[in-house]
This record gives sequence, C-alpha cells and structure tokens, in this order.
Amino acid sequence: MTTPRTIVEVHVLQTVPPSNLNRDDTGTPKSAVYGGVRRARVSSQAWKRATRRAFQDILDPHDLGVRTRRLAELLGGHIRGLDDSIPQADAWALAAETITAATGAKVEPPKRNAKDDKNGKPQPAPEGKYLIFLSTRQLDALAELAVQGREDIKAFFKEKENKAAAKRHANSRHSIDIALFGRMVADNTDINVDAAAQVAHAISVHRADAESDYYTAVDDHKEREEDDKGAGMIGTVEFNSATLYRYAALDVDLLRTNLGTGLRENETLDAPVRRAVEAFVLGFTQSLPTGKINTFAHHTLPDAVVLKVRSSRPVNFVSAFERPCQADQDTGGHVREASQRLAKHIPAIETAFGADEGTLTWVTRAGDDTQALAALGTELPLRDAVSAVGTEVERRQNGSA
Amino acid sequence: MSVLLLQLAGPLQAWGSSARFARRTTEPAPTKSGVLGLLAAALGRPRTADPSDLAALRFGVRIDQRGTPLRDFQTAHDLDTGDAFPISERFYLADAVFVAALQGPHQQLFELLQALRQPVYLPYLGRRSCPPSRPIELSLQEDLELQAALEAETWRASQWHQWRRRDEPRVTLELLIEPDGETGRVDLLRDQPLSFDPAHRRYAFRGVRSSTATVPNPCAPQPLAHDPTSALRSQ
Repeated sequence: MTTPRTIVEVHVLQTVPPSNLNRDDTGTPKSAVYGGVRRARVSSQAWKRATRRAFQDILDPHDLGVRTRRLAELLGGHIRGLDDSIPQADAWALAAETITAATGAKVEPPKRNAKDDKNGKPQPAPEGKYLIFLSTRQLDALAELAVQGREDIKAFFKEKENKAAAKRHANSRHSIDIALFGRMVADNTDINVDAAAQVAHAISVHRADAESDYYTAVDDHKEREEDDKGAGMIGTVEFNSATLYRYAALDVDLLRTNLGTGLRENETLDAPVRRAVEAFVLGFTQSLPTGKINTFAHHTLPDAVVLKVRSSRPVNFVSAFERPCQADQDTGGHVREASQRLAKHIPAIETAFGADEGTLTWVTRAGDDTQALAALGTELPLRDAVSAVGTEVERRQNGSA
Repeated sequence: MSVLLLQLAGPLQAWGSSARFARRTTEPAPTKSGVLGLLAAALGRPRTADPSDLAALRFGVRIDQRGTPLRDFQTAHDLDTGDAFPISERFYLADAVFVAALQGPHQQLFELLQALRQPVYLPYLGRRSCPPSRPIELSLQEDLELQAALEAETWRASQWHQWRRRDEPRVTLELLIEPDGETGRVDLLRDQPLSFDPAHRRYAFRGVRSSTATVPNPCAPQPLAHDPTSALRSQ
C-alpha cells in the first residue's frame, strides 16, 4: 500500500464501418446488453491477439514468444540450429522430453490412421494437448539443455538438477508478450505468469443491432448460357457498424516483476519495461481484429486516444456510455457526442472519487468531432504521446528503484 | 461488528462457482469466493496465501440490477497452421449491478477499504476482462448487522433501470445472505474458499439464505401533498 504504483490506462474511441471483427459460433457479430440496450462487442481476447500480431512489426522477434501446440517441432528446430548432425526425428524426441520436463505438459505424436501408414506418410512432429506460450529466449535455453542431455534424455531429466534447470529456463527471461498477457500452464501452475495488462471487451457507445446482408454469387461460366442465369450460390453475412469504446489498463509494477532483469545482455533494468509499455500502448491502439477483413475492409484508426499514467487504481470510463449515444438527426455520427460525454465524465469521476494528484494525461485525436477531448490533457500525435508515457514510466521506475 | 459495503457494476461480470474445463458458467450473483479473491488481490496477496481470515467474514449480497446472461464462444488459433479450435464457452452477466457486504472486525474491514483504494493487483469482476465501471468501495459502517446494512443501502441500479421501474415508488430486491448461526431453510453453495492456490484450489460448502429488502426508487415521482388526481388513479 505504501509503495508508489504506476498504472497506465488507454481509452480509445474508434469507429468501424459495416464489419464483423469478432463473431460467435453462429457467425453473428458478438454483442452484449449494456444500459438496457444491445451493443456491438469485440471480446478482449480478440483484441489481445490483434495486439500480439501488431508486436511483430513493433518489436524484435527476440522480445516475443510463441503460443503453440506444436512446440516440439519448434524446439526441434532450435536444437538442430545448435547441432545439425542430429536427425529431425531425434531432435523432435529430445524436444518433447524437454518440454515435458520444463512444463509438465504431455507431448506426443498425433494419432495416425492406417491409411497414413500405408501411404508411407512421414511420422508427424509430437504435439501438446493445449497451447503453450514460451519466449524465444526460453526456447534457446531449453534447446541448449536438450543438446546436453542428448545421450539419454530420459535419464538426463530423471536427475533433479536437470529437471529444475528446465523449469527455471521456462520461467525466466519472459518475453514482452508473455509478461503483458500472462501464461497459463495447466499441468504446472508454478510457471504460470499473471498478466500485467487488463483489456476490457470493447463495446459500442450506442445501440447496435446485427444486420444481415443477403448475397448471391454469379457463376461466370453459366452466365454465357441463355437458359440458366440463376445464381451460383446464395447466402447471408451478418455485420454491424459501431463507434467503440475500448479500454485497457497496464500494471507497470507487475510488468516489471514479470520481465525480471534484462531481457537482453548489457541492458539496464528499466529498458525492457519502457519498451514493453510503449509496444503495448501502440499495439493496442493501432491494431484491429482481422475477422472478415477481406469481406468488409474495416481498416480504421482511432478517432481519439486518451492515455493516463496514475499512481493508484485504474479507472474505466465506460459508464459515460451507459446511456446510449443517439446519432444526431441532421449530421449523424456518434463520435462528437461520445467525445463530449467522455470529456465531461472523466473530470467528474476524478473529482468525485479523488484521482491522485500526480495523474498525467495525453490526448491524441483527429477531426472537429473530438474537439471536446482536447481539454483533458496534453495534445500530441500518437507516437509522441506514447513516447511521453514511456518517459514518465521510466522516470517513475528510476524514482522508486 | 462492522459492515463493509461494496458495489459491483460493469458491462460484464462473471462469478463462477463450479466452472471447470471448457464450460465456464456464472452464478446469478457474486460469489463469496469471487469477492474474497478480489479483496485478496487488492491486498496484494499471492494465490498461495491462506485465505482463512477473509473467509471468516460473513458475506451477503443484494441484487440491485439482475442483468442479462451472455454466452460467449471463444476459440484459439494455432500460431503455425492458423487452424482454429474451439476451446471454451464462457458465460457472463451483462449490465448487472450488485451490492455486496462483509461483516467482521472493524480494523480488518478498514484495511480492506484502504486496499480497494490502492489495489496491489488490478481489480476485476470475476474475470480479468471484466473491469469495474464504478469504484468498488461504498462505505464502512460501525456497529451494524449485515442484513440491516443491506436493507438500508440506497438502490444502486443504473439510472435507466430505475427510470424503467418509475411506477414502483419502492422496489423489492433479492438478498442472498450467509446465515449467522440461526436455523431455517438454507441453500448450500460450494463457495467458501479454503485455498486459492491454483495447484489445489479448494472450497467448502456455505449456507445461503434468500430474503428480500425493499428500498425507495429515487426515479419514482414524489407524492404531492395535494394531488387531486390520486382518486382517479386508484380506480
């Protein structure tokens, strides 16, 4: 309670045209009732995955992890990278044993049917039963260990210290994405990582019902015939369009704990923390789930972003939109009203519940409709605002270190 | 004995009591284990810490706005092949508001109140993707019994919800309260946390007694001192 905390908040208003970014098992865009009316919803999982994909353009691959069931194949590649005289099948076997020692998860070759055997298909790589998230550096360290034990890998991991080393490798030098989004290993809860980032489901600031698009597909060849000009196929696609309120909070102190010391050699303690904070804010604000993106091309950027750095608890401002925004009869659009609501709601809540004095706010916005938000903080283009957050985080980290 | 009152409001909440594997359900109201987990996180306790001091508090909850159940279907994708495979079906309560109460020693509740104002781990309503939309702490009241505190608390439903029920000057809300030794009809819920340790999470049964509280509706029109139409309305 006495330690000064650092929490970063991201609030985004973003309009998407007709689209279906995130659908349920029947193909309908996800939704939720809020304020008594149905809203468009994009799940937190969908946006976290989009953020993780955006990291591939923002961060060095060495700062990232891989979440896959096919870890044995991946680790086998790292093993053969160290010693290419090891045949592939042996490398996979070494990898499977090493993963089991490190994470407790069973890794076995997938079941084959008789046809595959008869047709002489090569034995596929062993797979885990669920997705496991390991950083590139963890894979490197595990590959080295596997090569050390190559003579008799089973006996190697029967020795306590080797098994402990495998576990240690799986639980140190976490990548930025693991530190942010956490990791859950069902068979070995000791190596779970608690996520430092909290992402809310995005919801529309207004009522949004799903609409249905009936379509026909024309048969190119048949079109030339006189007697049968019917459609080649028919179907429907469901969609909606929305101005979304998106919210995420980042616990910088937990992020620091998760990252541990120095992701890279010769790096100061705070460098990976700042890099991770900036990557998260940039990745979360600029990314977009790609559901049905080729059907709808819903590529948009936010209308407005409000960034905050606080010392106490995070605050979600979604209740500004509990009463749904109404589109203007003449001009249409929800961004103006949403901006005005947010510009009123944020100071009201912060005054009523006593926001801590050190709270800093930056605003990135586009267009006249978002004018109301300008008064909330320092206006900067997104890159500069993100870098200002990074500088503030670094300043606080140095102060408390 | 004192009572700490909390409000649990947000677009989505999820209070699982027996959720395992791929089907993650939610109870219709916050669970004791869920609320104590939230408080333990605010205190910064690791999951392996002994929760018995928190579990000793008496727990009750009032359903201020029932909300709508929501089923969410979640898939995961294999990063290499792009194959999707369904992994879970999650249930949420959308648009709900609850008042929860904890009864116990004043000092202990005071520390919890402080922790909620400066939480060590970020708070969420049952699931990490469900951040609260209002401050959780409401008040800490001395020398009060849990049921009396829940009956006296103002109605915390959203304004639109209160307006929708403006014809009711007083509304009746469901209370789910842990009985205090007395006998009578009690339901059992496996919700008394013994350990939050993810390696061996354990819960015992606890009793839940259902009753109601009637509170004023601030959105109902105030009765006029002189209302000549009242005779017509009563017909």
